[in-house]
Amino acid sequence: MIEMNGEFIAFLILSIMAIGGAVFMLNFVRVVHMVLSLAFTMLSIAGIYVLLNAEFLAAIQVLIYTGAVSILMLFGIMLTRHRDQEAEGVRPWHKFFSFVGVAAFLGILLHTLYRTPFTEETADVGRFSVDWLGETVFKQYVIPFEAVSVLLLVALVGAVILARKESKS
Amino acid sequence: MEKYFLDYDWTVMAPELIILAAAALLSVIDLLLKEGGNRRLLGWISLAAVIGAGVVAAQQLGDPAYEILSDTYRVDDFARVFKLILLAGTGLILLGSFREMDREGKEARGEYIYLLLAALLGGMMLTSSADLITLFVGLELLSLASYILAGIRRKRTDSNEAAWKYVVMGGVSSAFILYGMSFVYGLTGTTNLYTAQQRLFEAYNSGYEPFVLLSLFLMLLGFAFKAASAPFHMWAPDVYQGAATPVTSFLAVVSKAAAFSLILRVLLGTYLFLLQAGPWQELVAPALLVIAAASMVIGNTAALRQTRTKRMMAYSSVAHAGYMLVPLAAVAGAMLFESTIYYLIAYLFMTLGAFTVLMVVERETGNEHLASFAGLSRRSPLAAAAMTVFLVSLAGIPITAGFFGKFYILIHAVTAREFWIAAVMLVTTVVSYFYYFGVIRMMYFRPPSDGKKVPIPAGAAVVILISLAGTLLLGFLPQWTLDFLGQMDWMSTLSPVRDTLGQ
Repeated sequence: MIEMNGEFIAFLILSIMAIGGAVFMLNFVRVVHMVLSLAFTMLSIAGIYVLLNAEFLAAIQVLIYTGAVSILMLFGIMLTRHRDQEAEGVRPWHKFFSFVGVAAFLGILLHTLYRTPFTEETADVGRFSVDWLGETVFKQYVIPFEAVSVLLLVALVGAVILARKESKS
Repeated sequence: MEKYFLDYDWTVMAPELIILAAAALLSVIDLLLKEGGNRRLLGWISLAAVIGAGVVAAQQLGDPAYEILSDTYRVDDFARVFKLILLAGTGLILLGSFREMDREGKEARGEYIYLLLAALLGGMMLTSSADLITLFVGLELLSLASYILAGIRRKRTDSNEAAWKYVVMGGVSSAFILYGMSFVYGLTGTTNLYTAQQRLFEAYNSGYEPFVLLSLFLMLLGFAFKAASAPFHMWAPDVYQGAATPVTSFLAVVSKAAAFSLILRVLLGTYLFLLQAGPWQELVAPALLVIAAASMVIGNTAALRQTRTKRMMAYSSVAHAGYMLVPLAAVAGAMLFESTIYYLIAYLFMTLGAFTVLMVVERETGNEHLASFAGLSRRSPLAAAAMTVFLVSLAGIPITAGFFGKFYILIHAVTAREFWIAAVMLVTTVVSYFYYFGVIRMMYFRPPSDGKKVPIPAGAAVVILISLAGTLLLGFLPQWTLDFLGQMDWMSTLSPVRDTLGQ
């Protein structure tokens, strides 16, 4: 039986907000509205991280996803044609099959998740502090960390190649 | 005792470091060179770097396995052999595409070269790591660079469409892989493949069986996307057609080899315990076999109806992904690593050769319709002869590399007692004769639309000759390669490095 305490109520509200934002993002017609509802979802997810005792992750989530990514998307939209509306060009049976596929996938996931409840004790999360995180990243995971910097460089170069104006045309 | 940064021997990482340094150096040189100047120098530097890295990797062959920082970097014979395949593929593509990129990507020649190197670096990281985080970062580095390479011909709408489709589909597949990995981490609390295997085994026996299988199947979904195997191959024809031909051959050869190394590494490193526990035979092997069979059937039948050569090659590469999945699915067979890698090497030579001829013909006629091959035997007898060998090898007819590749996979499948997949393989191979021979018929029995000779640039000619030599040598003397592969220490792939067990 689920206990009705403050944590559960907070989780309920936050998850409804997160799912609602995602649904609205899919159903809005204007691109700006989509970005705003996406930001809303991201913010709610940050709230869920707080509930899970992952305060650092929550702060990062707000800073990067709710803040930076959303603002970047908004800038992108404002600097390009932002009055675009999505054209309804999808064949109806296509939509139907996507729906069936996604519903089946959700069914399998939910079935799996609910059939096997976790009986184990929750681990002690007290030692997962920020300085421990930093130490892990720069000691054990230094190779993927460096690789990520190459990855970012590639993304940057790629954005420049794909977006720059023709030099002469 | 915990080992730190400088306690490790970092020279084992030399191939990666050479490629990284070359990519960084090239991007700086590219800045300093005059705009519109000759970028040929960049091509030669990159080629030298790839060859240098290859030599270092080849010298390491046979050394004992070594790991750095709890398997975030790990080099064993499996990694070295795959690395050599990736390096050989990229080197040949670079050599063959000097002239092509001068023409195609006028405004992005330098970028083309160092993005190719960055993609190669990502692929090499995929081969030599046993840690989920490094594997994922390597995969994304490879994918991201490939997305940009696919869209590098910005003025052409089909190139834009290719890049766009590739980004969306690639993003979805990465999400699936990541979701699967998150279940592994959630169950085990580690990103190390071998530790994860032990703890997954415990989790499996204490009632979390559905989660273990869920994580595996989510990852398999993503892997099948990345290796372009049916039914997740939808992106391949459009992307292969839209991208510039050298990029297409990179996707078909290097990307695919890297994807296979990832699949083998993760499945054998983390989920092999399912073989003893039971569900491998009941669930995993049938799923893999169905993916393999679907790839063979869909790839080979869809290729029959194509009139554009690049689309045809795309479907053919889907079919080949199916063949290459068979050894892993029939894991109990006699020569798992040998048959997969033999096929990959054969596939490397014949596909690269075919794509290079295709590139030359495409440049000359300006389109990629099958009809542009008409009368090639008169316009360029050598190219036509080489192309015939490549196609015969792709079709798997003796005595070529492709024949022995398929033969070893068949032996493996039969020793694992998976007879029906062997039958599917034989039937679809016969089907594939129709479209491969369609091209040969075009080259020899159709009159050319104009009598112009097809000039072959020096770089492309060298690539065609090397591929031809490779295809024929692997066909005439398969035992050499097989003996060589037999000497490798494959079992080190399956277990952690000995002397660091105590960590």
